[in-house]
Amino acid sequence: MDLMDRYLKAVGKALPEAQREDIIRELSEDIRSEMEDQQSELGRPLTEAEQQALLKQRGNPLLLAARYQQDDRRVAFGRQLIGPVLYPFYIKVLSFNLGLTFVVIGTIFLALSLSGQHIRFNDILSSCLLQLFIQLGVVTLIFSLVEKSLTKHPDRWDLSGTCGGIRLGVKIEKDISTPPDRSKWISRFESVSIIIACMVALVWMTGVQSYPFLILGPAAAFLKLAPIWYQVYFPIVFLTVLEIVRAIINLVRPDWTLFRAVYAVFVHCGGLAIVYFLIRAGSWVIAADSAGGGTSSYANAAQIVNQWIYYGLLVTAILSTMMLVVRVTRLIRRPRQGLGSPRITEPANGN
Amino acid sequence: MAPGTINHDLFENLRLELRRGSLILAVLAALRKEQYGYTLRKTLEEQGMAIDEGTLYPLLRRLESQGLLLSEWREEEKRNKRFYRLSADGKVTLKQLLAEWQSINASLNGML
Repeated sequence: MDLMDRYLKAVGKALPEAQREDIIRELSEDIRSEMEDQQSELGRPLTEAEQQALLKQRGNPLLLAARYQQDDRRVAFGRQLIGPVLYPFYIKVLSFNLGLTFVVIGTIFLALSLSGQHIRFNDILSSCLLQLFIQLGVVTLIFSLVEKSLTKHPDRWDLSGTCGGIRLGVKIEKDISTPPDRSKWISRFESVSIIIACMVALVWMTGVQSYPFLILGPAAAFLKLAPIWYQVYFPIVFLTVLEIVRAIINLVRPDWTLFRAVYAVFVHCGGLAIVYFLIRAGSWVIAADSAGGGTSSYANAAQIVNQWIYYGLLVTAILSTMMLVVRVTRLIRRPRQGLGSPRITEPANGN
Repeated sequence: MAPGTINHDLFENLRLELRRGSLILAVLAALRKEQYGYTLRKTLEEQGMAIDEGTLYPLLRRLESQGLLLSEWREEEKRNKRFYRLSADGKVTLKQLLAEWQSINASLNGML
């Protein structure tokens, strides 16, 4: 894949899907025409540095793509927090987080309903609204920080990622010259998404410690988390922080693919160990002491929820083990090389 | 800021605002003759109305969606290019806009 293709791929990632192909074709034609013009002026093919300069002149792929967004949607409270460039990514992350949360809430209420508990509409509504409020706040805060960085440093981008290169102010390489195989580099969009998702998870897990209703909803009045969750809390937080650290390192060094592969195996093993201890615990929710009368029906509800969790953990353990085997196999079959690709040197002009 | 010095950012914003409307007029005027994106950009540049591709192509799409331009993909020199030209509505709008621009220009000349 040549420089122009990588640039266009980066632009394409942030373009409206319906027009993507058409816009890319037109931009491609424009770049080719400009290159040909320069070549006929110089009487020779353009060097990589010249091609690079020509593409740099066109600006950050994310910002270029944003100019094609006709709806111009943004998030603003007085001043703009998230502009049209990041808005589509913001909506994707928020939808994913909220979708996952609502599935969890729905499962809990379904289990309670099946166990014969009386579920009020208000309970469901208040749980959903609370989650909506928390997720909206955290995701908006993180994206507004990214927006601030993008606005402050619009020229900080490169073509190593596949999302148009949000660099979050970290400027390591200044070159977009072709490395041996950049197509296998870790996308910066992926790294940013992991950082955001892990931070949201950390905030949520911290909240669940003090406010179990964040996960149990109104069932927190008569159910509580079993002690095993408090025992595995710090290991889970530790693994999440490790993943954030890994994503930050790969944000700066997307070429460290072997590092990620080795790191992922260790983190994966840690995750499996936690799942093992969870399965061994045998009970994950118990009837709350304050439940008072109706304790037997609450115990019944706890039993149903526990059964669901048990099956969930078993499936997680099986899938996770299979993934670990795949990861280790890939790692063993991987051609021998250093921790990552060779570092790219800065161009002579220092651009 | 010392008295008499110009706030560069402010000037740049005002300049861009002033140019934005004129660019639409320039693009419509240049497309009385059919052209594809790159030659249109070169034409505008030669006439002193340089416009970067990140502004030009989204503008062309917007004008097309507003019914002022027509476009078609056609092969030229063994490459597919998208050619743009004024639509019937575009011709009428250009005429009206030119009249408006000349009226503004005359008013400004009277004031300056």
